[in-house]
Amino acid sequence: MMRTSHIDLAVIGAGPAGLAAAVEAKHLGVKDLVVFERDERPGGILRQCIHAGFGLEKFNEELTGPEYANRYIKMAESWGIDISLDTTVLDIDKNRTLTVVSEQGGLRQVACKSVILAMGCRERPRGALGIPGTRPAGVFTAGHAQRLINVEGYMPGRTVVILGSGDIGLIMARRLTLEGAQVKAVAEILPYASGLIRNVVQCLNDFAIPLLLRHTVAEIHGDRRVEGVTLVQVDDRWNPVEGTEQFIECDTLLLSVGLIPENELSKAAGVMIDPKTGGAYVSDYFESGVEGLFSCGNVLHVNDVVDNVSLEGESAAYGAFRRIKGLPAESSVISIEGDETIGQIVPQRITGLRDVTFHLRVKRPMKKFILQVGDRFEKKYPYARPSEMIWVKVPGDIFRDVRGSIIVHCEETS
Amino acid sequence: MGETGAYDVVVIGAGIVGAMIARELSKIEGRFALLEKKAFPCFGMSKAGLSQIHLPDFCPPGSLKGRLCKDAPSRFRMLAGELDVAYREVGELWVALEPEQVANLEAAKTRGECHGAKGYEMIGPERIREIEPHVTPKAVAGLYARGLGVVYVPEWGFALVENAVQNGLHLHLQTSVSGIERENGSYRLFTSRGTITGKFLVNAAGIHSDEIARMIGDRDIRLDLRKGTMLIFDKAVSHLVHNMIYGTFSERHSQDIAPTAHGNLILGVHYVRPEHKEDRKVTRQDILETVKLGKELIPVLSEKEVINSFSGILPSNNRAPNGDFYIAPSEQAPGVIHVLVGAPGLTAAPGIADLVVRLLRDQGMMKEEKKSFQKTRAGWPRFESATLPEKLRIVGQNPKYGHVLCRCEQVTEAEILEAIRRGADTMDGVKHLTRAGMGRCQGSFCSIPVLNALVKELGVAPTWVTKNGAGSHQIVGYTKEAAMARGPGE
Repeated sequence: MMRTSHIDLAVIGAGPAGLAAAVEAKHLGVKDLVVFERDERPGGILRQCIHAGFGLEKFNEELTGPEYANRYIKMAESWGIDISLDTTVLDIDKNRTLTVVSEQGGLRQVACKSVILAMGCRERPRGALGIPGTRPAGVFTAGHAQRLINVEGYMPGRTVVILGSGDIGLIMARRLTLEGAQVKAVAEILPYASGLIRNVVQCLNDFAIPLLLRHTVAEIHGDRRVEGVTLVQVDDRWNPVEGTEQFIECDTLLLSVGLIPENELSKAAGVMIDPKTGGAYVSDYFESGVEGLFSCGNVLHVNDVVDNVSLEGESAAYGAFRRIKGLPAESSVISIEGDETIGQIVPQRITGLRDVTFHLRVKRPMKKFILQVGDRFEKKYPYARPSEMIWVKVPGDIFRDVRGSIIVHCEETS
Repeated sequence: MGETGAYDVVVIGAGIVGAMIARELSKIEGRFALLEKKAFPCFGMSKAGLSQIHLPDFCPPGSLKGRLCKDAPSRFRMLAGELDVAYREVGELWVALEPEQVANLEAAKTRGECHGAKGYEMIGPERIREIEPHVTPKAVAGLYARGLGVVYVPEWGFALVENAVQNGLHLHLQTSVSGIERENGSYRLFTSRGTITGKFLVNAAGIHSDEIARMIGDRDIRLDLRKGTMLIFDKAVSHLVHNMIYGTFSERHSQDIAPTAHGNLILGVHYVRPEHKEDRKVTRQDILETVKLGKELIPVLSEKEVINSFSGILPSNNRAPNGDFYIAPSEQAPGVIHVLVGAPGLTAAPGIADLVVRLLRDQGMMKEEKKSFQKTRAGWPRFESATLPEKLRIVGQNPKYGHVLCRCEQVTEAEILEAIRRGADTMDGVKHLTRAGMGRCQGSFCSIPVLNALVKELGVAPTWVTKNGAGSHQIVGYTKEAAMARGPGE
C-alpha cells in the first residue's frame, strides 16, 4: 500500500513563483504546506542567471538571480517552510492528490486542500523547430548552455551562432563573449528583437555582436560536432529568400526561440490550457478551471521580469489561502477576451468584485495607442512591443453590473 | 569488449541484422566477433527507421524477403520474452483514398496471404472510422489485420548483443574495417583498432556492405540508396492513431503513420536521393513533404506537435531482382557471406540470422551446439512504464529509482546508472537505452545530469564525453573560473 499524507497546501516548484507563493501562504497563516522541487537546490532557473537586473521592483535594488532567489530561500527558512528537494511530482488527480517520488522519501501520495502549480517553463528544442541539416553535437538551447557555464563551469563551445533573440539568448551572447568565446551572430526571424531592448543594447551592441533581423538557420552542418550553419534571410511569410544564404563557421549553435509553460501535470489534473499563453485559464485569484488548483509564474504565462513572477505567486497564495480556510466562494462571472490586437492576457475570467491587474502582451509592436477594457476603462501608452509584458491595474468598480465578457483592445491613435 | 585475435567467424556490422546473426552464432561452440564502426549497436541505419515488424504484405510473391519475414511477429514475440525487451503489437490498416487504390489493398492481401499471413479483413469507411476515428473521411476502403509489431531498435540491438556477449561473443565497437587480406585460409581484417582474423566473414555492413565486398574482391556489388525522412510527434497527440495506418507507396514515398514502442507517433517516409552515404541531412522541403503525407491520412495532425525529425538510408542491391534481398556466399572469396538487405530488414532479421548460420555451415563452419548457451538476458525495470505497485516495489528495492532525472520521459537515476554500467559510454548511448532526452524537451534539462553521471561512473573528464563517439564532444572546455579551480593539466 502506498502511504498517503494529508496537507493543506502543496506548492510544485521552488523557483521564484513557488517560493514567493509558499512564503506568502505561510505569512497568511497556512500551516501545513510543502514545496516540492525536482532539482537538488531551491531557486529554479534563477540559480543559473548570474547576471544582475533582478529585484528592482520587489526589493528596490539590483540583484543577481542567485541573490534574488536567496532572499526568498532565507524567508522560507525563517518561516520554517518544508522544501522537499530532488522530489518529482509524477501526477495530480482531480481531487488534488499528488503522487510524489524521491530517493529519500520513496513513492507516496499527498492529498492537498489546495495546490499551487509553479513548475515554470522549458525551452523550445531543435526538433520542435524542424531546423534542417545534420545532427551533430554542439546544438544547445540557450538556457541549457547557461546552466552548463554558470552552474557546471563547462564551456559548450568556442565559436557560436545564436538563433533567436529571446532574452536568454541575448544574455548568453554576452556571457559567452566574457568567457572568451566568439559569438559570430544572433539571427532573429522577426523584424524586431524578441528580447528586451536593454538586453539588445547591453548584450549585443556593447560587444559589437551583429543582430541579423529577418534571418534564420537554413541548415546545420557537421557530422560529429557542428562545423557551421547556413543563415538565410526570410520574407514576410518566413520563407527563405533565395540567394541570401551565408555560411558561418562555428562549433556551436544556441537556440533561444521561445519558452513553453510546462503544463503536463496541470493537464493531467484536468486543467484547461489557453492556447495563447500556453498556461491555464485563471481567475483573478489565479485559480485554474479545476477548483483548488492555482497557477502562477512561467507555468501560467512566460514573464519577462522575475519580480512579476513573485507577485503572481503571492496572489496565487492568497487564492489558495481562501480555499483552504473555506472562505465564501466567489464566482468569476466575467470573461476577459483580448481581440486581434492582443497577443495574450491573464487573468481570463474575473469576479468583478475588486481591483484587478491584467498582464498582457500586444500582438505586434505599436506606437501611441489607447488600451481599452470594454468601454469602461482606457489608458494611454506611448508604445508597446510583444516582448514587454504590460501590467495594467483596473479599478474593480468599473465592472459593476457587467455580465458575460469584456473585450480588451488596443486602439492606435496616430 | 573482448581481446583481438583469431576468430572462427567475424560479423562486420552490428546493425539489427548483424546483432541478430551474432546472437544466433553465440548458440554454437566457437570464437565469434562482432565489429561495429559506431559507438553502439544499431546506431547506424537500424536506428533510423520506423521500427516496425511488418506483416509480409509488402513483399512480392516468391521473394526471398517474403520467405524470411514469415512468422516474424511470433519470432519477435518469443525473443522479447527471452531478452526482456519491449515488444508491442498493434493492427495494420491500409487505406485507399480513391476507388482506384482499392486494387492496391487487394494486391497487398494477396501478397500477405501467399507468405502465410492470415486474418486480413477488407473493410468499408464505417469500420475504418470505428478502428481509427481520425482517418480522413476520404478513405473509401481499408485492409485491416492484427499483429504488426513495434519495437525500439537500439534497445533490441543492445539486448541481442549483450546476450551474445554473455554467451562468449567478442564485441568490438568503434572499430571500422579499412582492408581485408586472405592468408592461410583465413581473413585478416585491418581495423581502426588493430588486426583481427577470422576463418569466416559475414558482411552485414548495411550501407557499407558494398565497400566490404570490394575489399574481398567482389567488385561488382552496387547499392542504390534512398534517404527517407521521418518525424516524431509529442505524446500529446498519440490518441490520434492507434494502429499502423498505411496509404500509398512509390519510389518517392511510403506513407506510414504509427505508434512507436514508447507511445509517440512516428510518421514517414519521404524519400530523396542522398548526396552521399553519410548524408543524414533533413531539409525543410523533406519535413514539409513528410507532414503532407501524414495530413493526407490524418487531417488533424499538426506539424506543431513534431518534437523531432531524422532521416535514414535505405539500400537496395544490384544482385537480386526487384529490390529483393541478396544473402549468399561470395563467388570470389570462400567463407564470406554477403548479407545485402534493405526494407524490411528489421522484420526479416530473425529469418536472415537462420539463413546466414545455415550458409556458414554449408561453407564448413563447425556445427556443435553450445550446451551452456544461456538464452535469457535480463533487462532492468523501467520506471515510467511500470504500474504503481511495481513502482513502489522497485523504489523500495533501489531508492535511486525514486530520483527522476529526465522529467519528460520519467527516467530515473537508477536506470541511467544501469545503462552506463552495462556499457553505454556516450550521451546517445544512455539516451537510446533509457530514453533520457527523448521526450518533448529533447534533453534540455536532463543532458547535464546524464553528462555528470557519465563523468562520475566512468571516471573521465567532462571534456572526454561525446554525443556518439570520437569527435562529437559534448563540451569543449571549462569556464575561466572552473579551469582555475581544476588546476593545470585539464
